[in-house]
Amino acid sequence: MLEAIGLSKTYNEAVALEPLDLRIEPGEVFCLLGANGAGKTTTINLFLNFIDPTAGVARVNGMDVTSHPLETKAFLAYIPEQVMLYQNLTGLENLEYLAALSGKDRHPRARLREFLVDAGLPAEAVDRRVSTYSKGMRQKVGIAVAMAKEASALLLDEPTSGLDPQASNEFSSLLKRMSDAGVAVLMATHDLFRAKESGTRVGFMKRGRLVQTLRAADIGHSELEQLYLSHMRD
Amino acid sequence: MVALFGLIVGFGLYNGASRVKAWEATLAAASRDQDERLEELRERSDQVDSGELAPGLYNHPRSPSYVGGVRGQRFAMAPPGPLAVMAIGQSDLHPQYYKINNRSSQSFLDDDEIENPINLLTGRFDLGFVIVYLFPLLILALSHDLISAEREQGTLAMVLSQSVRARALVVGKALARLGLAVALVVVPSIVGALAAGVDPLRADAAVRLPLWIGVVVAYAAFWFALAVAVNALGRSSATNAVILVGCWMVLVIVAPALLNIVVTALHPMPSRVELIQATREASTAASREGSNLLARFYEDHPDLAPAEIDLNPADFWIKVQASQESIDQSIAPVLARYDAQLAHQQAMVDRLGFLSPAIVAQEALNDLAGAGMARRKLFLEQVDAYHKEWRAFFVPRVMRREMLSRSDLDNLPTFTFREEDAGAVARRVGLALLGLGIPTAVVGVAGLWGFRRVRIAG
Repeated sequence: MLEAIGLSKTYNEAVALEPLDLRIEPGEVFCLLGANGAGKTTTINLFLNFIDPTAGVARVNGMDVTSHPLETKAFLAYIPEQVMLYQNLTGLENLEYLAALSGKDRHPRARLREFLVDAGLPAEAVDRRVSTYSKGMRQKVGIAVAMAKEASALLLDEPTSGLDPQASNEFSSLLKRMSDAGVAVLMATHDLFRAKESGTRVGFMKRGRLVQTLRAADIGHSELEQLYLSHMRD
Repeated sequence: MVALFGLIVGFGLYNGASRVKAWEATLAAASRDQDERLEELRERSDQVDSGELAPGLYNHPRSPSYVGGVRGQRFAMAPPGPLAVMAIGQSDLHPQYYKINNRSSQSFLDDDEIENPINLLTGRFDLGFVIVYLFPLLILALSHDLISAEREQGTLAMVLSQSVRARALVVGKALARLGLAVALVVVPSIVGALAAGVDPLRADAAVRLPLWIGVVVAYAAFWFALAVAVNALGRSSATNAVILVGCWMVLVIVAPALLNIVVTALHPMPSRVELIQATREASTAASREGSNLLARFYEDHPDLAPAEIDLNPADFWIKVQASQESIDQSIAPVLARYDAQLAHQQAMVDRLGFLSPAIVAQEALNDLAGAGMARRKLFLEQVDAYHKEWRAFFVPRVMRREMLSRSDLDNLPTFTFREEDAGAVARRVGLALLGLGIPTAVVGVAGLWGFRRVRIAG
């Protein structure tokens, strides 16, 4: 579903991402671990076609994102660390607007309301202005957008940082539901615990390079932390 | 802000309407005045006929000099333009009527009305001013952060991760705001204009009103295109605001002032003092020459010489008339220089005005309202023709020492203003629309080209 082939990005000599080869199948949750500036966000931005690659291609559902930006984005849903919405609109109105931008068949309002509640937003909050929402609630609107556009790949950039443990747990179960439904997930995170819990694979990034990938099931919580620290040390 | 702008539009219209009212009142007073004087002439003429009244030497109600140069003088009046409430322009700098006489045109062209010089200097706060100067500021307030605000709020990433092109987003947002901004100006303007008495069914207004809306839309589109182009630079909202206000200063304030300086430097007007001096010298010479002049006049116009050849040098009226002709001839070259320089200036403004959309829009709005230079020129031409007609009626009678007949008093030449042909206005405004459309297209295309790649994060 998500595929990077020799994908790299350089800003005036500074290497943000060294040639990356990566394949994420439907139903897989790939967690990218690494320090700030390791190239995690760059990778996600390349899949979103927010930046041009220096070399290589990023593919979504077999299509190059630079030559088919609109078609590939129809498959993608993006949840940044802070899901920022229009403060003066309600959660429902934000969802309506973002879903309408995707240009797919319009859902009736009642259906959009269901998506929001399904994503875990309290029913009473649906018609409240987003300015009153917590970070977790805004993220749920982001998930509802993914549901409404029937995304087949999710790009998550540190979604659980700053969430309380309960909200973080809720988020993980949502993620699980989506991957069970066949959605491919690429998640950049600092949260080793969540990576082990929800990930099918984890990858370590360091100075723009993907240095190691392994199956999450093959490693324990404390081993993962040890491995992470040893990668960061040298 | 929207309500404030509505108030400003209303204030501009109110000023336009009160100006038109004052104008119409002036013309009505002038009409009344000339009718009363004529009526009085007829009465006195009847009294003279019946022997009730002995006419004086210089105020005989049938004397062509007295009627044509003093008591029977009529006004050549220009009514307010078809959409005068919507723009006053410089029409308040010029008289709306002239009192025609049988002497040189210099004797009436400078009889200006008295007006508060501060108003004349700054121009009125009319709808045209609101649109050309203030409307762009409203537009810039609505559009300087078209995309930069979304980047600063963080919503840009959410929006652009949907299947939508940045260009489509920009164009959609700009068009929606353009619609709002135009509606904010056009709706109250049209409602106000109709309330102030513009009749949309008159063929003239039916052409001018749609063109007026077209100019407002084109002018607004230019400023939106500029805002899009500045947003494409990817700077912060605050930087965008500074850049755009700078553009406003240059295009709306500096460019017209600069154009004015360039035009007057390249084609300076001859000194007014020179004209007055020439007129004085000519009249002194004329009165000094006195009877010689009169003799020369009859030599030039033998057909006008009276049957009994006893030239009486004391014949005051005839001498006055003859000297007028001489004065006209001697100041004609000075006046021609004036007209030529004015024509040069106008031609240059017409050409260089295209450098600033504000100048193009202002000229077009004035033109449509009937406050433009073209209508002014047309009026002066009609005044000139009427003056000639007036003189042709009176001067031969003066020189032949004839008296007017009673029926002549009922058949004095009258002035009727012929309104400008709407087609000619439409052609000029069409050119102005082109002058607004081309920069809009250039700036807009450059802006959209800049949006092929958008910086997502602040």
